[in-house]
Amino acid sequence: MARAWESIQDFESFLDNGGIVERTDAMPDEFRNAVFRFIELHANSEQMGGLTERDWIPRTPGLRHKMAVLAKTQDEFGHAHLLYMIAADMGIKTRRQMLEDLFAGRSRFHNVFHYRVETWTDQVAVAFLVDSAALASQQAVFKNCSYGPYRRILKRIIAEEGFHMRLGEDRMMKLAAGTETQRAMFQASIDRWWWPSLQLFGPDSKPNDLLLRWHIKSERNEVLRARWVQKFVPLLHSYGFTIPDDGLHQDDDGRWHAGPIDWEPLKKTFANVGPDSERRISDAAAHWHETTWVRTALESRADTQPAAGSTKSNVSV
Amino acid sequence: MNPLEAAVHAAVASVDDPEYPGLSIVDLGLLEQLMVSSDGAVSIGLIPTFSGCPALRHIGDAVTQAVQSVDNVTALDVVWLATPAWTISRVSAEAKAMLARDFTVAVDVALPSPHSGPRPAPVPCPMCATPMTVQSMFGTSRCRSIHHCSSCSESVEVLRSSP
Repeated sequence: MARAWESIQDFESFLDNGGIVERTDAMPDEFRNAVFRFIELHANSEQMGGLTERDWIPRTPGLRHKMAVLAKTQDEFGHAHLLYMIAADMGIKTRRQMLEDLFAGRSRFHNVFHYRVETWTDQVAVAFLVDSAALASQQAVFKNCSYGPYRRILKRIIAEEGFHMRLGEDRMMKLAAGTETQRAMFQASIDRWWWPSLQLFGPDSKPNDLLLRWHIKSERNEVLRARWVQKFVPLLHSYGFTIPDDGLHQDDDGRWHAGPIDWEPLKKTFANVGPDSERRISDAAAHWHETTWVRTALESRADTQPAAGSTKSNVSV
Repeated sequence: MNPLEAAVHAAVASVDDPEYPGLSIVDLGLLEQLMVSSDGAVSIGLIPTFSGCPALRHIGDAVTQAVQSVDNVTALDVVWLATPAWTISRVSAEAKAMLARDFTVAVDVALPSPHSGPRPAPVPCPMCATPMTVQSMFGTSRCRSIHHCSSCSESVEVLRSSP
């Protein structure tokens, strides 16, 4: 049953009391827009993440890792698909518009996918550092998320991303116990990926952050970032790796704090002019065009063989 | 079941699917063989939902760890079997209800193939029971497809037998 609110104050008190908004509710436009943008960013990031993973299928060493990379690729595209569906249901952009905007460089995706994954150890660092940072952000959204369709899909995404992170952790431990060359390569990957991972959490949340006020996010960016630093600095140190941060220090209680963060690289990725943005976006667009025949084939099958007792299946985007 | 068999079975059942926390691998239908000899040697045969599943090693390790901690187990062998193939008919009724309630995941009762044959009957939406339309036969893994409910507009993953 669709619900409506008299005023934004009524709506906010509904949210403050733990209310969950459903798609058919007459939610305020500002809320609809903010939630839509957030989900679109997440969907785009899963799409770009799937492409990163796909790049590594032929280059992944060993059958066991290769199976995991194959499955993770499908996972990321599956997440993107689900997220694009719930974003499209909000009635702001269709799925096709979102994809066209992504491929034309008109929309955003997470900063970490604006860098090139150079080596297998980079890929491990991404699975270990980037996935854990993304997971921490998603968990903080899920904890208190006021938009029902997103909340339900996040629950499954988080369980799956948690599994990806464990795979990353396994690979990291293997490299840590490896040869000097493997350890040196992984250290170089930490040096490349540490700052982008830290920047993934974003700059300190503004006092009037609407996503916090409307219970989409449950914690401030700087709190999540500090917690992540606190966890990963001792972990990497325990395996004998170093952190590329001269300002990194421990306080009197033994807690680790990052040095000053340069936000310029993050701003560049937001503007789609990061180190690898151009190649990434054109690759994503090329991949989409190259796979047109698959979608065409699926659509023609949907045309010729409708499901018994149902309307035509919709496999278009 | 004798007490040791029951204890081993309970240990296996305590292992959850890594992607559905709270869902036991026994309820998911992964346990195919459980043999306990009189001297306490245990042999466990598991089957995967699909052969390329990346979680096999993780699940196997978790089962080994759980069963090793059972008293009077003297030896343990955990293997993944090539046959029979897992199908969704192995998922218990409780697990189906739990998947719908906690994960908004439905279970396809038909045995669909995306390659040939007629399309399976529509799967009911776990939220409102309306028959859903297929969005993609290929979801986040080979054992899942993606459906959409035109009534409540929920986007739903459907657990299914792998083609």
